[in-house]
Amino acid sequence: MTIAPAQAPVIELVNAARWYGNVVAVNDITFSLGPGITGLLGPNGAGKTTLLHMLAGFLAPSAGTVRVLGLSPSRDPSVYRRIGLVPERESVYGFLTGFEYVRFNARLQGMRDADAASRVAIERVGLQDAADRAIGTYSKGMRQRAKVAGALVHDPQVLLLDEPFNGMDPRQRLAMMDLLGEMAAAGRTILFSSHILEEVERIGTEILVIVAGRLAASGDFRAIRALMTDRPHMITIRSSDDRKLAVTLMSDPAVFAVTLHDSELAVQTAHLSAFRRIIATASRTAGVRLTEVSPADESLESVFDYLVHR
Amino acid sequence: MSTDNRVAASSPAGSIYDLGYRHYEGKRRGHWFAAWSLYVDSLRGIWGFGRPMSAKAAPFILAGLYALPAVVVLAFSSTISKSIATGETNPLDLPNYANYFGGIGTFIVLFLVAQAPEVVCRDQRYQVLPLYFTRAMGRFDYAMARLLSLATALFLVLMVPMIALFIGDILMSADAFKAIGNELPKALPTIPSNLLIAASTASIALALSSYSPRRAYAAVGLLAYFLLVEFVPLVIYGIGHEAGAKWVDYLPLITPITGLSRATDWFFGAPIPSDFSSSVGAGAYVLAGFVSTLLFTGILVWRYRRIAA
Amino acid sequence: MIHGSPRSPILALPEIFRVTVRQLLGRRRTLLLLLLAALPLLLALVFRLFDRIDVQRYSNSVFDGVLIAIVLPLTAVLFGTGAFGAELDEGTALYLLAKPLPRWAVVLAKAMAAAALTLLLTVGSILAGALVEVIPAGEAGVRATEAYVGATVVGALCYVAVFVAVSMFTRRALVIGIGYTLIWEGLLSSLLPGIANLSIRQYALGAGDWFVQLGREPARLPPETSFLLSVVVVVVALVLATWRLMRFELPGGTD
Repeated sequence: MTIAPAQAPVIELVNAARWYGNVVAVNDITFSLGPGITGLLGPNGAGKTTLLHMLAGFLAPSAGTVRVLGLSPSRDPSVYRRIGLVPERESVYGFLTGFEYVRFNARLQGMRDADAASRVAIERVGLQDAADRAIGTYSKGMRQRAKVAGALVHDPQVLLLDEPFNGMDPRQRLAMMDLLGEMAAAGRTILFSSHILEEVERIGTEILVIVAGRLAASGDFRAIRALMTDRPHMITIRSSDDRKLAVTLMSDPAVFAVTLHDSELAVQTAHLSAFRRIIATASRTAGVRLTEVSPADESLESVFDYLVHR
Repeated sequence: MSTDNRVAASSPAGSIYDLGYRHYEGKRRGHWFAAWSLYVDSLRGIWGFGRPMSAKAAPFILAGLYALPAVVVLAFSSTISKSIATGETNPLDLPNYANYFGGIGTFIVLFLVAQAPEVVCRDQRYQVLPLYFTRAMGRFDYAMARLLSLATALFLVLMVPMIALFIGDILMSADAFKAIGNELPKALPTIPSNLLIAASTASIALALSSYSPRRAYAAVGLLAYFLLVEFVPLVIYGIGHEAGAKWVDYLPLITPITGLSRATDWFFGAPIPSDFSSSVGAGAYVLAGFVSTLLFTGILVWRYRRIAA
Repeated sequence: MIHGSPRSPILALPEIFRVTVRQLLGRRRTLLLLLLAALPLLLALVFRLFDRIDVQRYSNSVFDGVLIAIVLPLTAVLFGTGAFGAELDEGTALYLLAKPLPRWAVVLAKAMAAAALTLLLTVGSILAGALVEVIPAGEAGVRATEAYVGATVVGALCYVAVFVAVSMFTRRALVIGIGYTLIWEGLLSSLLPGIANLSIRQYALGAGDWFVQLGREPARLPPETSFLLSVVVVVVALVLATWRLMRFELPGGTD
């Protein structure tokens, strides 16, 4: 299962695995990523952080290969020039101001004009006002933003983020999502992990779902949904007379269950395309006016739910 | 259906039970019991009981090393008694009750440096002090329970070699039962002298350790204190004594180990060694020991009275 | 984004050095170390108080007994183990490692920061005491000061390198450092002279002997051997530290 990129993949894993004694944290994972944003989804303990650390070069794979920009990150520190990492753990540099911290990163990346680059990075994450305070005095959301600023000050090709929206309020989250979107549009490859489905849904559609160390699905989550043929689609309908519509729909073989709720109708069908064809006819036959027809489980949550419990 | 559940709501047909906070209506023991429990728990912790094996290593090894010379004397008691009879060995060269601590006191320092931080630093580091202070036991009880547990542990360490020497003396003499009668009065002063040593050093160690939540730094600070307050006054005393100054005679009073071994001399009626001035009698060292104990206990209690929790 | 062509990453080392120095300073620790370092000066003043200018006595009791035996190892242990501190255990070292820098360079920069602070405190301490007590004695005093400064420099570099390396392998580096100083170098060395071959303190003192023999017991190592062994110790320690840093791994944890 791969997300096929146009040219050579930026991130590529082939049969990558990682185990600790008898515990397998990452089990035979293969995928490749190109420019754009991809969300790494999985329940807690699924192996998301392990996978990110393998991509970041802080864990060598027990088997298989991990390549970022063609190089093996665990063996070649020069690849870090083009990778930015935003880990979950806090740094120990709480005594540095926001600006000093970002500049520390810039200087370690060997940037010629570290000061200017740091200022730009700080502005991109919106920390200008607090840049001269020590990071130790920041709120959690501000610390996250400082981490992100430090990670993108050297304009990396690849950005790896581990639960980046932790501790951010909704406004900061939106701002961060916009920033990531900009970077993706500019051709960067961004991979971020999350177990909060709304975040992933909002940013982009490309996902990797990892469950118990295995890759359960990859690609556009709507496409994945469509592939889940062994599970009926749920559609919510509101109309002028739900009961009459329900009776008409039940007579059609494409529909196999209809549930009558207080103010709406929940229809289950195995064939979404067939249903799309019949719903208009059915409502005309029943003499009912439709006010709303929406898929009830097109959400990422239902996809995720299905994949985790499969 | 059981009928002794607390009921939140009920009707003839059924009830909803209240599973909220469980009340305890039984007897409550006072703060003495709480302090006693902490004391026992603390004492066990110092010896590493209730903790993994690695926590038992330091205290037992160091206590064992402290007791080693006495155990060696005990093991070779028959050989030694023969050698004394032939005149080869001078009994005054052997470890005895009076000179024991002075000779090998370093291991007591090591024991304290290793274990005192264990007693008080953890609670500060993980900020669990409020859990203690909001119970029946107060701040004073907490501090004293911890202090007494360390002092007890030290007393045990100090007494083991004394007991070994006692047994050794009995074995070395011809008539065991008469020997017990003879030796006991000679051995008795070990109890008060070791009590003083235990109380004094434990109070210093705990008072200083209580100022750092991190065990490693407390250990380093403690070590620095013992090394420096031991040697620096002695250096100054050495120089000043030669120069004929009188006030330096009082300096050795503040040294922990040397001072306490001089105090031990008072309990055994032994004379002060020649390299110390005779103007400061052994009794002064005992007094210094008491004062130091009170002082550092006060510092410890003050620390816990003021600590934010 | 502003880019500019990157310079050689080796030039990033001063930044690591600076930040590590800031990491190490501050807090009560520095205050206590300053007090420790002031001791030789205080004792020198006491000596002068009694109208003594006695190079031999002062060297033996203060330089040997207080500085080389206590102040130097404690300072080096605190700064050496603090250089990396808990970063490797807690995993926060990745902020330092996700950079295009060779690992040996990171180790070197951190060790140099710790060494610089240690040297500042200890050599400063010697000079302060020497100015008051030893140098006024004339030529002999100057030679003695040179000897002890040399010994301290060698000792500081060895101790810091070793403790930086040890701190990367175990959380208990500080306690191990104390145990080494007290038990290995203190107690055992006086009981078993053979241990001099494996004691940093002896290397330091032996190196100091290069300047002037200060009339100590013959159990010391000759200067050439001391220098050689010191170099070996520093190199081995730094190599081990680099090796360990290259093996740094950050497990996923509970995700």
